[in-house]
Formats: sequence, structure tokens, C-alpha cells
Amino acid sequence: MEELNSEKILEIGKKAVEKAIKLGATEAVVFLSEGYLNSVEIQRAQIVGCISRWEHGIGVRVVYDKAVGFAYATILDEKTVDETVEKALKFAKANKPDENWPGFSSSTEFPEIRNTYDKKIEDVQPEELVSYASIMLETALSHDKRVLPIGGGVQTSHICQAIVNSNGVEAIDKGTGAGCYLVTLAREAAEVTPVCFEYNVERVWRINPEWVGREAAKMAISSLKAKKIKSGKFSLILNETALSSLLYYTLISAVKADAVQREQSALKGKIGQKVASELLTVYDDGTLEGGLNSAKFDGEGTPMQKTLIIEEGVLRSFLYDRYTAKKDNVESTGNSAREGLDAYMKTPTLEATNFVFSPGTKSNDELIEEIKNGILVFGVQGAHSSNPATGEFSVVATPAWKIENGQIAYPVKGAMITGTIYEVLQNISGIGRTPRKIEKVVTPWIRVENVKVVG
Amino acid sequence: MRGEFYKIIEDGKNLGAEYIEVRAEKVFRTSLTTKDGKVETARQGIDYGAAVRVLVNGAWGFSTTSSLNLKDLSEATRKACSTARSAASKLKSPIKLAEVKTVEDKVLVKPKRNPREISIEEKMNTILSLDKTVFDYDPRVRSCTIDYLDISGTCYFINSDGTYIEQDKLYVWSRILATAKEGDVLAYGREEIGSTAGFEVFDEQPPEEIGSLVAKRIIDQLMAKTPKGGRFPAVIGPNVIGVFIHEAFGHLAEADLTISGSVLADKFGKKIASDKVNVYDDGTIEGAFGSFKYDDEGIPAQKTLLIKEGNIVGLMTNRETAGKLGLPPTGNARAESFRHRPIIRMRNTYLAPGDYSLEELLEGIKFGYYLKSFRGGQANLDGTFQVGIQEAYEIVNGEIDKPIRNLSISGNTLETLLKVDAVGKDFELWPGRCGKDGQTAFICDGGPHTRVKEVIVGGRA
Repeated sequence: MEELNSEKILEIGKKAVEKAIKLGATEAVVFLSEGYLNSVEIQRAQIVGCISRWEHGIGVRVVYDKAVGFAYATILDEKTVDETVEKALKFAKANKPDENWPGFSSSTEFPEIRNTYDKKIEDVQPEELVSYASIMLETALSHDKRVLPIGGGVQTSHICQAIVNSNGVEAIDKGTGAGCYLVTLAREAAEVTPVCFEYNVERVWRINPEWVGREAAKMAISSLKAKKIKSGKFSLILNETALSSLLYYTLISAVKADAVQREQSALKGKIGQKVASELLTVYDDGTLEGGLNSAKFDGEGTPMQKTLIIEEGVLRSFLYDRYTAKKDNVESTGNSAREGLDAYMKTPTLEATNFVFSPGTKSNDELIEEIKNGILVFGVQGAHSSNPATGEFSVVATPAWKIENGQIAYPVKGAMITGTIYEVLQNISGIGRTPRKIEKVVTPWIRVENVKVVG
Repeated sequence: MRGEFYKIIEDGKNLGAEYIEVRAEKVFRTSLTTKDGKVETARQGIDYGAAVRVLVNGAWGFSTTSSLNLKDLSEATRKACSTARSAASKLKSPIKLAEVKTVEDKVLVKPKRNPREISIEEKMNTILSLDKTVFDYDPRVRSCTIDYLDISGTCYFINSDGTYIEQDKLYVWSRILATAKEGDVLAYGREEIGSTAGFEVFDEQPPEEIGSLVAKRIIDQLMAKTPKGGRFPAVIGPNVIGVFIHEAFGHLAEADLTISGSVLADKFGKKIASDKVNVYDDGTIEGAFGSFKYDDEGIPAQKTLLIKEGNIVGLMTNRETAGKLGLPPTGNARAESFRHRPIIRMRNTYLAPGDYSLEELLEGIKFGYYLKSFRGGQANLDGTFQVGIQEAYEIVNGEIDKPIRNLSISGNTLETLLKVDAVGKDFELWPGRCGKDGQTAFICDGGPHTRVKEVIVGGRA
């Protein structure tokens, strides 16, 4: 397999763009990616194997008379690339012109983002990954014999993405990632706890498998002897895992300009209005140092940027790609995503990058201590069945613990929390000061008052 | 190709693999996305690639490449073997696969309408006419997003036991998402179509029919009220009972999850549901979205009985878990593509019909809910489940009454299965997609109308 080679990738891209224009395309953009992923897998308390993936491919997007077509291929020889260009053009010709077509990007200046590429990750050997996995696993197992680590892994990846278009854009970006996670449960007599999850994911080679193993084990043990609770209204603390699940299908969906323009968002017409507690400030930041989704450019070649979404409770902006931006007469916010090892095969979609809840002033202990009657929620189940148009959700809190008089009292089972994300955001009463990143979200713990819970 | 695959198998053996398999794919994907009458995406892909999976000293090595040339396949084999050897250094109990019969077969699909032979223009027109039906239904419809996907091509499977299979792959899928608005009320609804038969699925379920169904659902929601929270009796329709059986029970009976400590771990052979409950996972239903002839370990698909009169009698297995548990391999090992390893997945999973009519099921319920169509569902290994419902009605004095929106049910699977007190005589199967470990599988689920004595209803009073 050939090593990542920037020049070669750009050359294939330039040739494909030229070919498209020669065949009569109005505009063309070519996205190429090549990536490697290596991982070690844990199942049922043992290391069971390794995975290595190598992917490369080309995605060609062409415009013919304001109509778009797209084709991709995994084979990069000249014949296949030519065929791919021809297919994309054929699809564009079959499509109807769209008067709102904004054209492709012509940005040539891109931000430099710190801590998104670490050469060391490219050189990590399988033996080292196996030893990290082993440390994580043994730490969890030796913590308590009731713990069963049912799954987990340690993973590294590196990917090189290039974009070339007929407006003269030529850009290349290299990124790396490393992570470990462990999924645990605990068993005692006939009781099985809910599944617990701990993780550590970074863009540089600085992950701590021992910490993950210990915390995943502690979480499972503390979930034993769960009780049902009576229905009522409670204070709630959501950690980053719970909040990220909940946000993805509600708030993040609602701030996408596409949803707003097409009346699928409760936030339509609310720019400048108060939609959340004044404690809350939210950014979407594609340039975040070490951010899991930070990159130089987005899937359309627009430079990544930092966009203020909610400022002290007031809604300030939506997320835009080029198409939705043109409709609202604004600029793209760099939120057109093409993600993953197989990014080349994906058409750009409007997505959040790093959705950042600005940290507050409280320690996690303080957030708990100030609660008389509440629930600490480390995960929610069923968030994808939320109503993205209204922000209404109804999810099971799991794992979760009852908080009484400022202390964690006992684990809770089967508690269903319901409401709308906007009530949640309005009723924030405290924000932690230590953010963590998970998937698209970067957030500390958030405390919310008056949430309805069905026990 | 076949000669090259044999060479790879030999390479693997020489590198110390006790088992090696190659899965290669030459697949074409066409997809469309329309938004409000406009085609936003028209995409076609030539998706070639292969995966090599080996067992070395009892540990797995799995390596993929988006290429089919011999040099890249050899490199993938070398990587699979060397990384498996590293993993084996920390292995406690070596993995052993269940013995199976070897197979040599070539499986061709014979669709009435092969999506490969249908022009992109016709596909666009079909989807756009569906979109038009949704908007024409009522002026309060505000948006409609439709995704269309067809996958066709050939998959090659070869392993060191001597199995060689060439199997055609054919899927046609579409999903409709629509919203409606009146005043401050926003309604949201969805529906899916899926088939392994061919593009003729759009003749059997005309776009107009599906479009009206989705449109009616969201318009009805505009008038709907939100549910009371609490415990209520419910009559569950085929679409919802299907997703309940799939999410709340099915995943727990996937052998990898069962032995990972699911609540079914120590229940095999025991009673976990009322006598009325019989559940199958069946990969052999012709044309159904979850059907195939051989799974991705080369095992023939079959009809697997999971619950018989309330007793759990079967688990869904792959060769690894079958070997570990001494159960038969059931043909449930599936991989989304060459990019992924085969894992245990459901096929077409359903509750078998009983003998009640819908009227009989409703009879005697003073107040409860009729759950007709789901939005999404999820379950945990400890047996708690949550299913969001997009179409629901109140039941008042044995009659279906006013529509309810944003209802969601939850509870404990085993408690709920024991509360099934009557099973209908009708039957429907619904296509869907299921996510597990980052892979999507095409599946169906379904069953008849079914009554449960009590389920937890979450909602906004």
C-alpha cells in the first residue's frame, strides 16, 4: 500500500477536475482521502483481536447548468477516475438546474489548527496498542471481581484529505486521532447493572487507558442495587455523554440552517431572542485546538471557523453550508461535513463541528452538593427517537444515580426523563468548569432544574 | 479472481493462520436525496474492496483494503496475521469456531426490475412523485426529505475450510421524512421502504400510497394532544410490536450480547414471556429486506425459533459464539460491507400471530393507548427498553379515540413480555435499518396487533 503522498493525491485531483471541465461541466470539485485505522478489540473481558483498515478513494462533484451530480470510486487508476467523472456529469445532466445553486468555494486561506496531527500516532505499533488495551482491561478487572468489561478497544487513525476545484482551490489536510474506551457492567447474584461507558479520545498520542479502566469499573460497581424512583420533578445533572446524545437529535438539529429554512426547527425566527439560561454560551468551533472534528477546511472547501450560536442565553446564529448561506444572504460557517475514513464517498452534509458549551465556574462536586432532590445522569437511551422539529424528548436515564441532600444516594433504574430541550436549556442552574469532548460535543456537566421524571 | 483468492488463503496459512477468509465486493451504489421537490444529491459509487479475516493462535486479525489487486490483498493478509499474533500474546481463552459444512455455490438474483438497468431519470421521477404526493395532501405540510438507495453487485466469500460462494447483492431502500406546521405546533413523521426483490417494490407500494400515509400521519399529529405519563394498558400495532421485539428482546438474544451479560444470560430454556409469545428470526422470507441466502461467514440463512410459547429456545449465533456455547450456527453473521467485520445481526424478526381480532384486543380497555407506528427504539443489556411512537391514539372504552403525539413507552423487557395477554391474528412485516457497533444492517420486523396489560408511558401531561 502506498504511503500518504500529498503531491500524488493533488495530482489525481487536478486531473479529474480538468477532465470534468473538458467534458463540459460548468464547475467541478474533487475530494480525495486516504486513511488508516488500527485498533485492538476487547470482548467479554479479553483481548480478542486486531483490526486494520486502509481506505482511499475519490469523490467527484460536478455542476452542469446549476444541476449537481456526484460519483465516487475506491479505485484510483486513470480509467476508473475518468469513468467516475463521466458518471458524475451524467447524473448532473439528469438533474434539474437549481436557481439557488451557490457555486463552489474559492477560499485559498485556511486556518492552522494546533494539536490535530501527531506524527507519533502514525508510528504506533500493534504491540503498543495491545499493551494499552491490556492495561485498561486489567485495571478494570482488578478493581472488583463483579465487574465484567463486555467490550472496548484502543484505536489510532490517520487520514489525509485533499480538495481541488475548478475555482483554483487546492488544499490538503492531515489529521490523527487516538482513543480508548471500555464498556462495563457489574453482576451480583441475579442482578445485572445497565451498561456503563468510559472513554478517552484525543488527536495526539496522549491517552490514559488506566484511568479509563478504573473509572469504567467504578461506574459499574456504583450502579449495583439500583432502585426505582417515584415520578416527579427533579434537579438533573447531565454529564457530557448524556448531554451529547440529547443535543444531537434536538438542539444541534434545530440550529442547522437547513432545518430552519424548511420549518423543521423550533428556533426559526428566534435570532436575537432568549432561548436558554443566561448562564449558557455555545459555540460551534471547527478550529478548536485538539478538537475531534477540527480541520482546515470543511467538505466544500470552506475554511473552518468559530461561530457563536448562543450568547448568554440569546440565540445568535445558525450553522450554514454554502447552499443554505446563499438562501439567507450570509456566508457559509464552514459546516459542510465529510467525515470518516471513507469521507471521499460521502456527499457534503450540514453538520456541527465541535459544538462547545462554554465552561462555567462550578466543580462537579459543587453541582452535586447544591442539589436537595435530584438525579445524576451519565447516559440516556432512546435519544434518537426525539422529535427534532420540536425538541421534545422522552428518554431513559441510564446509568443514573439519585442525589439527596447534596450527596449521591443510590443508583436509579428505569427512570424516564421527558421534556423539551428548550425547557432544559432555560432551566440550567449551574455549569461545571471541566469540559470533555465526545463526538460532536464539548461540554462540562450541566445542572438543570425542574425536569419531569417518570419512575 | 478465484485463483487469486486461493493464493491469499495459502499466504495466510503460510503466515500461521489456523483459519482465514477473504470477502471481496464489487458493488455499485446509487443514492438520491430530495428536499422539497429538488434533487439535492444524485450519487453513484463504484465500491470495490476486500477484507481478510484470520485466526492466529486463537486471536482475530481483520484487515480491509479499498482495492482488489493482489498486492494490496497480500499486504492486508500480512497485516491481519501479524496484528492477530500481537493480540494473541494477551489472549486468555483462544477463539474456536463451530464446525460447519463447506459450501460451493453461486447465487444470482433475478429481479423483475433490476435497479442497475433503470435510468437515473426514472429513479428521480419516482422519488419526486412521492415528494409531490406528500405536499399535495395538505397545505400544512412544510417539508419533505426523501432518501433513496440501491445497492447491487457481487460478493465473494472464500475460506480455508473450503467454502467458496459468489453471491449477488441487491437492495432497494427509501426513507421519507416530512414535517407539518400549524400555529406553534410542529409535527414530524417518517416511513421506510425496503426490499431485496428489486425496483418493483415501487410497483407493489406505489409512491402515492406511501406519500399519503406519511402526510396523513403528520397532519393528524397537528390535532393530537400529548399523553398522560404513567402505567397504562396498550394495544400495540404490527409496526410497533415489531420494533419492540427487535429492540427489547431481539438484541438480548444475539448470542454475543447474551453472553456479554444480557438479562437472558442465565435464562436459556426458561420461561421469559407469556404463553402467547412465539418469536422467530427468519432470513429466508423471499424479497424481505432482511433476507439473504448465505451470511458473511458462508452459513446458509434459516428460520430460527427464538421464543416458543414463552420459553426462550434459541439464540442468534455466529461461528464463534456457536463454538463457545455448543449451539448451531444460525446464519446471523452479517457485515455492512467489506469495510466491516461480520457480527451477529438480526434478519426478519417477528412475533408470530395468535387468534384475536383487533376488536377483541380493544374490548374491555377503559383507558389505554393504541400504538400504531414507531419513531425509534433502543434497549439496554439489563432489559430496559425505550420506544418512541410517532403515531398513537387513546383507547377509551374499547374504542380507538383521539390521536396522541410524542408518546414514548419504556419498561423492562421481560416484565413486559410476561404482560402480553392477547395476540392478534393479523400480520405485517416492516423494513428498517438497525445499528450495532457502527454498522448498519437491513432488517425487517413485525408481528400482529398485540395487547399488553401495562406499559410505562412517558410523555408530557
